[in-house]
Amino acid sequence: MARTLAMFTDVSLCIGCRACQVACKQWNQLAPEEPEWTGSYQNHPHFTDKSYRLVRFFEETDAKGQMQRWHMMSDVCKHCAQAGCLEACPTGAIYRTEYGTVNINQDICNGCRYCVSACPFGVVAFNHDTATATKCTFCNDRIHNGLGPACAKACPTESIRFGFRDELAVKAKQRVEELRKLGYKDAQLYGEDKDGPLGGLNAFFLLLGQPSIYGLPDKPKLPQLNVITDSLLSIGAALLVGLGALVAFRDRGGKGGA
Amino acid sequence: MLKIPDWEMTIVWYFFLGGIAGGAYFTAAIADNFGSARDRAVSKVGYLLSLPLTLACGILLIADLGTPLRFLNMLGAFKFWNPMSIGAWGLGVFGLFSLLSSVLSFSTSQQMVGLRRKLSLVGSIFGFFLAAYTGVLLSATTLPFWGDSRLMGALFLASGASTGMAAISLIMFLGGTAAGEGWGKVKKADRYSMIIELVLLAVFLGLLGSAARPLTSGQFAPLFWGGLVGVGLVIPLVLEFVGQRVKAVAALGAVLVLVGGFVLRYVVLMSVQA
Repeated sequence: MARTLAMFTDVSLCIGCRACQVACKQWNQLAPEEPEWTGSYQNHPHFTDKSYRLVRFFEETDAKGQMQRWHMMSDVCKHCAQAGCLEACPTGAIYRTEYGTVNINQDICNGCRYCVSACPFGVVAFNHDTATATKCTFCNDRIHNGLGPACAKACPTESIRFGFRDELAVKAKQRVEELRKLGYKDAQLYGEDKDGPLGGLNAFFLLLGQPSIYGLPDKPKLPQLNVITDSLLSIGAALLVGLGALVAFRDRGGKGGA
Repeated sequence: MLKIPDWEMTIVWYFFLGGIAGGAYFTAAIADNFGSARDRAVSKVGYLLSLPLTLACGILLIADLGTPLRFLNMLGAFKFWNPMSIGAWGLGVFGLFSLLSSVLSFSTSQQMVGLRRKLSLVGSIFGFFLAAYTGVLLSATTLPFWGDSRLMGALFLASGASTGMAAISLIMFLGGTAAGEGWGKVKKADRYSMIIELVLLAVFLGLLGSAARPLTSGQFAPLFWGGLVGVGLVIPLVLEFVGQRVKAVAALGAVLVLVGGFVLRYVVLMSVQA
């Protein structure tokens, strides 16, 4: 396995220009979509099968509902170290590359859509044209040719940075310290910790407030962790139901012939 | 910001028919192994019912794929921790048992009957699996309510059992074989299953608390309370106790149980994806 690659998105540097969103569309040849007006600068409201990078706009308000400040965050597939989509894929179409990123093999995917419901971040989308699941590929073609992802390349403020994960993590921690000294008390990393939720995210973030401000789950969970408990409970129910049927059918007069 | 998988009516039907197939099969196996000679009708109906239903299940699942011709790709991986993966394998293996048991149910030779009984005990494991795994499949997602429910598989299993038994008793009634003691036993087993289902449903809702809101309040609530709890469970149970002696009433109860089983799958799938 090659050294793990990562993207580090620093929201404190994002100016909301959406160059990343456009670069992603261009490089990956994603078709245009009808804009969806939601009353915010953000477009689209969510990731789609044709939008793998998405600049989110959030208005932070205080307890009285007064506007405090804008948050802009360029969101992307997190390429989780423990990826719900990958574990949910029944065909093996979703795989981990030698760089630690998560990718969907479009020639294998049969469009069952289980991965869509297994992503803790709502990233994976079903593409009705190809009838397969699609998401950010971490520009798989580019990274295999020594180039960084198109979004990181296009970012004019270095809000999106690309590199080796261990090196980026060091820089990210330094940046948090800088911001805290400047008075951003809530500056924090999201997904950098390899011992944290999902074993760490290979696209991690620097946030200026709680993850919930950015619509991110505080503790994203691998959905497959439910399987053991729920299976054991199902076996319990099977024993109960089976016992009921056994009592109903038991032959009082000894076993008869056929 | 989470995304829904857009599993609609094909999957509702699959969950419903898969439950009946699994339930009918293990009911048949139990009747075959532990019942009397007079329960033969029950086991034969159960085996023979599970076969076409399993076939229908396979067709529904394939039809729901974005790229149906790639359905064999499901067999390109085996992930025991992934309900979708073992579900595809399990359905296939169950189909095989269902086929063998159905064929053997026509034989009267002592040897074949012995083989069928042993086979059906193993097949029952897959029958239970087919009835329950669809619930675990939903609970192994990140979506609210689905991912929060710890008893979804158990509930689906109990519902599969009650609908499978109801289907057997209904077929026996319509086929005119509702005279023997087998019919009474399958109705009795159905009664137990319904009681278990009702208790599980109460615990299920209790454990979920406010996470059960998509089901218990909102646009799907009337269907849930009226269609599943009322029509599908309480009324058939009442009918069982008041109208036990009248076969037509008992058959009506079986129809209601089937309606309830369908409503359960429908409200669970659709309420989260509405």
